[in-house]
Parts: sequence; C-alpha cells; structure tokens
Amino acid sequence: PLEDVPVLISEDIVISQPAKILNFLRKQKYNADYDLSAKQGADTLAYIALLEEKLLPALLHTFWVEAENYCSVTKPWFASRIAFPLSLYLPGKMSRKVLNRILLTRGGPPLYSLTEVEAQIYRDAKECLNLLSKRLGTSQFFFGDTPTTLDAFVFGFLAPIYKVCFPRVQLQEHLKQLPNLCRFCDDILTCYFRLTVSGHSPAGQDTADANLQKLTQLVNKESNLIEKMDDNLRKSPQHPPRKLTTLKLAAGGEESSPLNRLSP
Amino acid sequence: ATLCFQAFLQMCNLPIQVVCRANAEYMSPSGKLPFIHVGNQVVSELGPIVQFVKAKGHSLSDGLDEVQKAEMKAYMELVNNMLLTAELYLQWCDDVTVEEITHPRYGSPYPWPLNRILSYQKQWEVRRKMKAIGWAGKTLEQVLEDVDQCCQALSQRLGTQPYFFNKQPTELDALVFGHLFTILTTQLTTDELSEKVKNYSNLTAFCRRIEQQYFEGHDKDSSATAAARSAKRSLLR
Repeated sequence: PLEDVPVLISEDIVISQPAKILNFLRKQKYNADYDLSAKQGADTLAYIALLEEKLLPALLHTFWVEAENYCSVTKPWFASRIAFPLSLYLPGKMSRKVLNRILLTRGGPPLYSLTEVEAQIYRDAKECLNLLSKRLGTSQFFFGDTPTTLDAFVFGFLAPIYKVCFPRVQLQEHLKQLPNLCRFCDDILTCYFRLTVSGHSPAGQDTADANLQKLTQLVNKESNLIEKMDDNLRKSPQHPPRKLTTLKLAAGGEESSPLNRLSP
Repeated sequence: ATLCFQAFLQMCNLPIQVVCRANAEYMSPSGKLPFIHVGNQVVSELGPIVQFVKAKGHSLSDGLDEVQKAEMKAYMELVNNMLLTAELYLQWCDDVTVEEITHPRYGSPYPWPLNRILSYQKQWEVRRKMKAIGWAGKTLEQVLEDVDQCCQALSQRLGTQPYFFNKQPTELDALVFGHLFTILTTQLTTDELSEKVKNYSNLTAFCRRIEQQYFEGHDKDSSATAAARSAKRSLLR
C-alpha cells in the first residue's frame, strides 16, 4: 500500500499496522510473549499505551515537523525510497498529517500556540523516557532475560531517537543521559540487526554502508576461497572440471541472495 | 471523568460539592471538564487537579516506589487511550447513539437551533480527532474488542487484590472506577459495552466496593443521585 508503513508482505498477503502484523505473526506461531504471565501481558499493553500517548507525538515531531530535521534528514531519506513522482508529494503529506495529529490531540487550550504544544509534548516525552528507564532498571530486557513484544516496541521507539543524526537533537541528548536505555538499544542492535537491513533501518545510511562493507568482505572471502580451490583443482588433475562449475554456481547463488535482501 | 475525580477526592478525604452547570465547559480554564473551584483558584483536568491536591499535601501514591509509579502512569495512559477514546467514539461516531442519545442530551440546555448547531459542531470536532488518531476507520465491533482487551488487562492486573496497588487506593483506582462505573450505569442504545465490562467479575466487584466505601458512607440519597447525575454529565463531554 502506498502510505501505510510498516507493511508485512508474506507470500500473497499484505498487512499493515503494527497490531494486525503482530496478530498475524502470532497465528503463524511466532510469539515472543509465550513465557509471560497474564499480569505481564497486561503490563505490556499498558506500557505500549504510555509510549503511544507520551513518546510518539514528540518522536513524530522530531522526524516530521521540526523544520531542520525534516528538510535535511527525513525528507531526502524517505524520498530516496519512494518512486518519483510520489517522492515529491508523499513526504509533504505525511508531514502535514503528523502536524494535524499533534495539534488535534494535544493542542487544546490552555496551549494556544504551536511552541507551547511542542514544549508540552517534549516534556511528556522526557518524562516517559525517565519512566521507562526506571522500569528497566538494571535488567537486560523489560521482563527478565528474554526479549518480548514490549522490548520490540520500546526499541522501535527509542532506536530512531538514539541513532539517527539530526541537527536538532533535544530528545537524543535526554536519552543519552539514561545509560540503561542506551545499553538496551545497543544490545538489541548487536544481537538482532547485524546483517539484515530493514526498510526502516534505524541508523539509515550508516547501517546500509556498514552492511555493504560486511557483504563485500564476505564476497571477497568467498572469492578468495574459490581461487584457492581453483588452484587446488589445477594442481590435482584427477578432479573432474565439473565440480568447479558446481562450486561457482553455488558461490553465485550465495552472492545473489544477500544482494536481494539488501534491496528495499 | 467527573466521577473519577470525585472518587479521587473522596479517597483523599476531601469534602466536595458537585454542581451541575450547562456552561461548565466555558467556565473551565482549559475548556475541559472536570474542574474544581477552590477559594479563588480554578484548576481543570485530572492531571493538574492531582498535582494541585498533591501540592496541598494530599497524595495517594506516596507509598509507591519508582517502578510502581511508572506502572501506574502506564496503566492510566492505557485507560485514557482505550476507554476514554472508546467512550467518545460511542457517543459521537456511532450514528444510532448519536441520533438517539447524544444530540438530545448535549443540546438540551439550549433552544433550537442552537442545540443542533452546538452538537453538530462538537460531533465534527470529535470526528476530526478520531480521524487523526486512526480510530475513524474502526467499526463498532473493533472498538468493543479494544475495550475488551483493555478490561482484560485491567482485570489481570487487579487479580484478587482489593485495589490496583494492593491495600491502598491510588489515582489509578479512581480513574478506573470513574470510567467503569460510567460504562456500567449509563443507558445507551445497546448494552454491549457494559456487557464487556460485566464479563470481568473482579472489575464489577471493584466498582461495587469503591461505591460502597466512598459514596454510600456519606449522605446516601444525595451522593447516589449526585453520582448518577455526574455520571450522566460526564457522558455529555
């Protein structure tokens, strides 16, 4: 679909909106909350509501409404992933939609001007970050040692703030004062985002470059390996040349699939 | 919301007097209900009222540690996010309810055509808000499902305890009571919403307990009618 992100495409089925995606995955037996008690499940719902209510407006604002951020980072980034001529129109539309949403949900009296609304939503966001930090404490994930849906949600909200290089970064500075949340983001990034590049890679261009580098290294290693095998084969004439072709094909197959994973 | 706040003040043992006014929204400094009038100060909305009361030395959540306070805030957001939005949706976006109940009630203090104009204006405002947060595309079934999920979460969190944070009531208890009591006692075109809540026996027991403890202890007749009147008033928001 043109406007709705995130989108999950599984064979022929297209699903958008996080809640529906989660339901779909659960029905396919992918559930990170299997070991949670009923109370912890309830807590998950509550914390997600907190994130959406308190942190999301400020996050959206940082990306889409803050003029410097929008012009220098968000718009080019999104425009580069969307086909022309939609790239001219869609980012602007999303920006207007976000501003509308913020004003309608948070902009009633006694907050009359946009700057007052902005001040309020950033205050709320900082309070929310503090609350999350207190809740996380010293544990690795929110419910002990294994990650759950809540960890994924929190990461999804925090990682863009933490990693994207914006010109105006008040939320990022606040987040950096909460070391346990930074450690939480770093842990998840290293564990789960090593080689794959999703459409919403939190560090954007940096991760893409790093992954390209890693891939190039991998390919180089493989080609070195192939050369060595080539040499061996030439030195031992009893091995039939057929095996050489099979090796090359296999190497070719492996090369092409990571490349496929890279393309959006 | 009026009821949440009444419950909260009762729990703090502060005496209050409920007065019904047609122009309540205009009297409030933020345009939102409820608001309180103390001496020469007027404070509106539950959050600021709680802080105001706290500044005067009354607080229900002092006994909680940091993690519990975080949890309490999270649950309050859940209630606001789900229950409040669902109530607004039902009042203003469900055509049957709007025609039969909301329009007549909202416009009742005013003469024609002002009553129709004001209620259409309010409806348009609420629908715009719903569209911005993505609830406009939801059907009634989906909204009821969300309410059910929220009640399930609240029920699981409450468990067999008397209050959400065990022995003492907190702001969360007042908030949940206010919303659930309103849902359970207000007459709508269908009973589906109250049925969803009634499915969770510990939640209905919770409401009953708070009602008995904080509203029937005082003047039985006046507080019960005041609670019922304010329950209707909160639906008019």
